[in-house]
Amino acid sequence: MLLSAIVFLPLVGAIASALLPKERASAARWIAAAVTAVDLALVVWLLIGFNVAGGMQFVENRTWVVQVGIEYHLGVDGISLSMLLLSALLSLVAVVASWKQDTKPGAYFAMLMLLEVGMNGVFLALDFILFYVFWELVLVPMYFLIGTWGGPRREYASIKFFLYTLFGSVFMLVGIIALYLQGGTFDITALAGMGFPATFQWWVFAAFFLGFAVKVPVFPLHTWLPDAHVEAPTAASVLLAGIMLKMGTYGFIRIALPILPHAARQWSGFIAALAAISIVYGAALAFAQTDLKKLVAYSSVSHMGFVMLGIASLTPEGINGAVAVMFSHGIVTGMLFLLVGMVYERTHTRVMDDVTGLSAQAPVAAGLLAFASFASLGLPGLSGFVGEFLSLLGAWKSGIPAAWVVVAAIGVLLAAAYTLRMVQRVVLGTPSKAVEGIPDLNVREIAALLPLVALTLVVGIYWDSLLRYVDPAVRATLALMGGS
Amino acid sequence: MTGLHLLIPEYLLLAGAIAALFIERVSGREGAGAALGAVVALAAAIAAVVIGAQGAIAGGMLALDAVAVTVRVAIAALTAVYLLWLVGRGMGPERSREAVAFVLFAALGSMLMASARDLIVLFISLELATMPAYVLMGYRRNDERNLEGALKYFLLSMTTSLILLYGLSFLFGIAGSTSLVAIAAAPPAGLLGTFASVFVFIGLFAKMSAAPFHFWAPDAYAGAPAGSVAFVSTVPKLAGTAVMVNLATALVPHAPVLPAVLALAAVTSMLLGNLAAFPQTDIRRLMAYSGVAHTGYVLLALSSATPAGYAAAVFYTIAYVVPSMAITLIAAEEGTALDDLAGLVVRRPAVAWGSVVLLLSLVGVPPMAGMLGKLFAFTAAVSAGRLALVIVAVVMSVVSAGYYFRILRPIFFASRSDAPVLASSRSAAVAFSLLVAATLALGIAASPLLSYLGVRFF
Repeated sequence: MLLSAIVFLPLVGAIASALLPKERASAARWIAAAVTAVDLALVVWLLIGFNVAGGMQFVENRTWVVQVGIEYHLGVDGISLSMLLLSALLSLVAVVASWKQDTKPGAYFAMLMLLEVGMNGVFLALDFILFYVFWELVLVPMYFLIGTWGGPRREYASIKFFLYTLFGSVFMLVGIIALYLQGGTFDITALAGMGFPATFQWWVFAAFFLGFAVKVPVFPLHTWLPDAHVEAPTAASVLLAGIMLKMGTYGFIRIALPILPHAARQWSGFIAALAAISIVYGAALAFAQTDLKKLVAYSSVSHMGFVMLGIASLTPEGINGAVAVMFSHGIVTGMLFLLVGMVYERTHTRVMDDVTGLSAQAPVAAGLLAFASFASLGLPGLSGFVGEFLSLLGAWKSGIPAAWVVVAAIGVLLAAAYTLRMVQRVVLGTPSKAVEGIPDLNVREIAALLPLVALTLVVGIYWDSLLRYVDPAVRATLALMGGS
Repeated sequence: MTGLHLLIPEYLLLAGAIAALFIERVSGREGAGAALGAVVALAAAIAAVVIGAQGAIAGGMLALDAVAVTVRVAIAALTAVYLLWLVGRGMGPERSREAVAFVLFAALGSMLMASARDLIVLFISLELATMPAYVLMGYRRNDERNLEGALKYFLLSMTTSLILLYGLSFLFGIAGSTSLVAIAAAPPAGLLGTFASVFVFIGLFAKMSAAPFHFWAPDAYAGAPAGSVAFVSTVPKLAGTAVMVNLATALVPHAPVLPAVLALAAVTSMLLGNLAAFPQTDIRRLMAYSGVAHTGYVLLALSSATPAGYAAAVFYTIAYVVPSMAITLIAAEEGTALDDLAGLVVRRPAVAWGSVVLLLSLVGVPPMAGMLGKLFAFTAAVSAGRLALVIVAVVMSVVSAGYYFRILRPIFFASRSDAPVLASSRSAAVAFSLLVAATLALGIAASPLLSYLGVRFF
């Protein structure tokens, strides 16, 4: 019941907040804060009761559409637990960060909570149709968040986001149907390790690849991402980059690897190549940006490349690294988007050259921005380093052509280049006109950032705090793949 | 025992149709006819549920199997909801009591169609279902455009009826009987059987507005009052699918090419319907083309020629007509141009958010009914080896999202200052809510219906 409560509590909040009468709609933020906080508390409770070596736990399995074998099947292992924690935490942070949302607050906070239902659900679902339901459910609130509360080109960005991801996911649906007809069940755990014929695996993997890769996004399917991010309101950017991108890579680890191990090995070289290209290409584009939000958006393409590289390695190190990057990127990019949003609220510009010299005017904001940037570029001791190091290590040890690993490693260098250039201008530099006289972060804003700062340090210094949950689940996944 | 007492739902509709013509005279209250009709249709739906499946009746001319019962209940229930809406909104400037009678006649014909197992009964009930539609489509008798659309509809519908009848006559010739059971049991007639079957299905394709025999639909719908389109474009389709299921079951042995013909019509309809819906600015035209596309998905399920595929086709049709009717009813209330919907979220937030549920269901986004409909249709088609068609289908469902979002866009992201003030109507609101609730319920709690229909792949 605990998992169902975690998934559907925000739905209750969303309905309550949507039904608020217009004149009381500002109460929605309190509902949202309470609901997301309780949800996070439930996840922490789950974390305390979680048995690290226990595999899939807290399983709930009920029949749903019994005629065709669709089940209501939830469960949590170390990988999904880390993602669930990220989802619950960032949802609360997103609510706190959008406290001042005065445009249709009832609908806005309802959408944020509906989004959390979908995100939590994706990471817990163990039935393909249930998974698909949550996977698609996420699109709807995000469409409205971008389309209603977004920037000037919001309509274009929101529909592009919706159609791109829908395009990917309908192919996933074809893959699900193929697996169902071949394996006779929609149960993700039951399908794992069934050993389907090689050619069949290859094609089904292709279908899933389209579905997941659009979401990640992997080059060349990434073009929806910068548009969506630039137009999205800050909280939506945080959740989009922080969690929704991870749904794609989570899908690879939870579904594609254990169910289609043979195809995963066949595809690993190709995926590694795309990952390396994503890393370098994303970094190069990030370097060329003058808009801070776009810079962070493209850096996400680059960082998600490390996740894909780790997954493609099919080694315990690589996949541990992939999950670590997913977690770290979630909190660090969350911080970056929050800070860019906070700066934008004050200066009304995101152009890098217009917001220079932040440290003199707003030292707290500047310091946190520098901190998040260092975490993002993978400074040892902060969370970003753990995953990228392990991903590269795993990729090096695996059968992936060394050239791609070298290319990916160059990406680390490029990350340092574009991040430091941004820090140098925005944090240091001489104060620009827009920056003059702006107030520093207030208590609410610092409160939104603080848990993320703390997690960045904890995971960065004491890797085991994260990996002790993730590693057993990764090894179980690889064991399902047989060998390797 | 002829079992004629099992037709109580049909008798109810017949009596209700006649009574609806007079009750407003007697009671003197506008809308009394529609209210009576809604109650009668609801009673018919309940009676149909109670009677349930009974096998062959009336000497084998009718049969109440799972498909027939499901469709029968769906027709009666949807008619009741439609008439409930009519209680509140009426037929624009015209009085509504004749419309109520015609709607009930059409529903009666549709219900008989679904259970018909005899070619003569089939054709007569088809005409009974179609004739009232001619009047409904031309209901604004002082509007020339309306009459033009109705005339077009009448002429083309008559032509396709004759094509269908032509095919049916050959079937009679092959089997020497008008009974579908006898036709199914007759020895395969080779080329003649193929010829007859293809003619029959071309007639049905036209009735169901499947491409390439769909061309009448956009013009006819665009000329008609949206309130009429909401009924004519939805309820008879339920019967159409049931007839296609019954005929396909009987004719596939005679015409092995039939599944391929269905597949061809499916792919044409999906491509043409979805792509042509894109540039439309009139909601009726848009929904007409989207109807072509959805018929394509129904045909995709039928083309599997398996019991599960047939059941999936019926489920898909229900999952499609419910939200489709609701969207067209919005157009009937707010205006038929896309721009008329501008700012609906401000004026009527409940309707706006309800339309999100409806449109996403039409796209196939879970957890609404449309997603399960697509899942079953695709699964049936893939298991019959039609993977390529399913790929076309899924890509086209992404395209469909494009034009359904063209309806959502003005509702949420545009504003309008000259919007007409609509009197609030409790019955219309209840009808709309019921359609939205059904769209959700058919997705989340589809189990009972699926087990009744026999959607099962293993």
